[in-house]
Amino acid sequence: MMPRVLILEPHDDVRMFLECSMRRLGYEPVAPTDCSPGAVDAVVLEPSWTHGRTILEQLGDAVPPVVCLSIFPREAGLAPPESVAYLTKPSSLQELAAALRGALRPLIP
Amino acid sequence: MASQLHSRVRRLARRRHVVTILALAGLAATFGLMLGLRATETLGTVAFAPWVGLIGFDAGVLAGVLTAAAATGLWLLASSHEGTHASTVQILVRIAYLGMLGVGTAVAGRRLHAGEREHRSFAALQSALIDATLDGICLTDREGNLLILNAPLRRLSLELGLPLVGTVPEQLLSIAHRMVDPERYRRRMTELAESTGESTSDEFELAGTGRVFRGFTAPVSDASGGFAGRIWTLREVTADRELDRMRDAFVATVSHELRTPLTSISGFLEMMEDEEEGLGETGRTYLDVIRRSTDRLHHLVEDLLLIAQIEAQRVELEYATVDLAELAQVCIDAFRPTAGEKDVKLELVSDRPSPISGDRRRLTQVLDNLVSNAVKFTEEGGKVTVTVAADGDSTTCVVADTGIGIPSDEQGQIFSRFFRASTATQRAIPGTGLGLAISRALVEQHGGTISLESREDKGTRVTMTLPTQHPEEGIHAAAG
Repeated sequence: MMPRVLILEPHDDVRMFLECSMRRLGYEPVAPTDCSPGAVDAVVLEPSWTHGRTILEQLGDAVPPVVCLSIFPREAGLAPPESVAYLTKPSSLQELAAALRGALRPLIP
Repeated sequence: MASQLHSRVRRLARRRHVVTILALAGLAATFGLMLGLRATETLGTVAFAPWVGLIGFDAGVLAGVLTAAAATGLWLLASSHEGTHASTVQILVRIAYLGMLGVGTAVAGRRLHAGEREHRSFAALQSALIDATLDGICLTDREGNLLILNAPLRRLSLELGLPLVGTVPEQLLSIAHRMVDPERYRRRMTELAESTGESTSDEFELAGTGRVFRGFTAPVSDASGGFAGRIWTLREVTADRELDRMRDAFVATVSHELRTPLTSISGFLEMMEDEEEGLGETGRTYLDVIRRSTDRLHHLVEDLLLIAQIEAQRVELEYATVDLAELAQVCIDAFRPTAGEKDVKLELVSDRPSPISGDRRRLTQVLDNLVSNAVKFTEEGGKVTVTVAADGDSTTCVVADTGIGIPSDEQGQIFSRFFRASTATQRAIPGTGLGLAISRALVEQHGGTISLESREDKGTRVTMTLPTQHPEEGIHAAAG
């Protein structure tokens, strides 16, 4: 079964790119509307998007590892506590793949 | 109030005239008597001569002539009373003597008064001129005592709460506690108070008000070229700084927002590259153009964000051991294809100095900026040489080219952000004017210096000097 990655990104074009990237990397992209607590293995989050942060909070204790992909640098202090990697836009597909591999490592036997 | 004071001063001046005249008349009479002149002679001619001269000088021709006539009349009266009768020649000689004295001194007085009026009028114009400027201006003597103060500075002094007692440096020091950085302000003012030759300017912010002022001071020389005092100017630059802040905030916001479309453009571009084989030649050309443009946009955004971080002093260096010669070699290798396309020779000259302590990523960025500029501004067949050499406790890196150069009158601004030399804009060579500003800030943050020499159509030489050891490491080593 493919690992499921929740994409919390406010901009359509970037979200579309991330969905394509997830499929290419062998993950199943999950939209916020299809998300339920415990049903995702990792999250790609734009931490400056307030609504995205709210959705993340709604996952309660079941928040999986979060990869931040932001227009703001790490120094802006936006990363949530669950964050395991922080990338600044635009990042390459390889950087994103490496960050997700790191986030999903506990799942890989 | 001012007019009362003025008329009082005038009255005193007149009294001084009277005292002077009486003293001179007394002196003249004494001399006359000592020389054995008769009382009538002494009174009518000798003692009256100063009156005639000074009244003529002060009050004009008519007053001078009338006094001369009165003196002659008085002498005739005294002579008649004494029983001696003056001859016509004697009378004429005295009239001529006293008349000429009265008229001559009146003419001299008129000329002098006209000169004085002109001088007063010029002084009033000068005063009006310095009062009409927007800057507060004052002049102090060698000890810092106030000599001249213009109206805007008088107003600003009241607003700043300057005590207006003591020397100007003492007054300025007394408000140090009201500044945003009192220690820095105090240090600067103390330096200035002790300095005689330095010309300097600085900005300071009044705590809790957001008001920013720029002060300037320069030594003033006397006629022989010696230190005579200082001129001080003060200008409120709050609006300018607010504009700067707004511009920086706007640039930062736009730059951050540009990262969103850049993410999707560069992301999909990367995906398309995997399918490049399936594209025709035209498609691949288009893809190359998109790739180059995306890279440029990416670099622009990164540069804009870095300059904003530098301005906000938020760039932190990650110190490590860095081999500058190796870094220069990597940089040269990266730019060799671009230089090759223009037939520009690119070479490294190095005596392999010891590694330095620095931030590898940031120093790479500086070298990339310098070499990129050198290649970009050197025309076909030219040469770019990067020299890395040890220089005492420092390592020097020189990037020299045989390019288009920078006009001498623009070289002072070349490290300012967004500034572009006219030689570059005239040739439509692309650039943002950020590379050198970023380079200077990063080099200075390393405790180093960067300078530039250039001659139009001959070439440019940028010299960067970096301390071998990180300043704080030096302190630790000394302490240890």
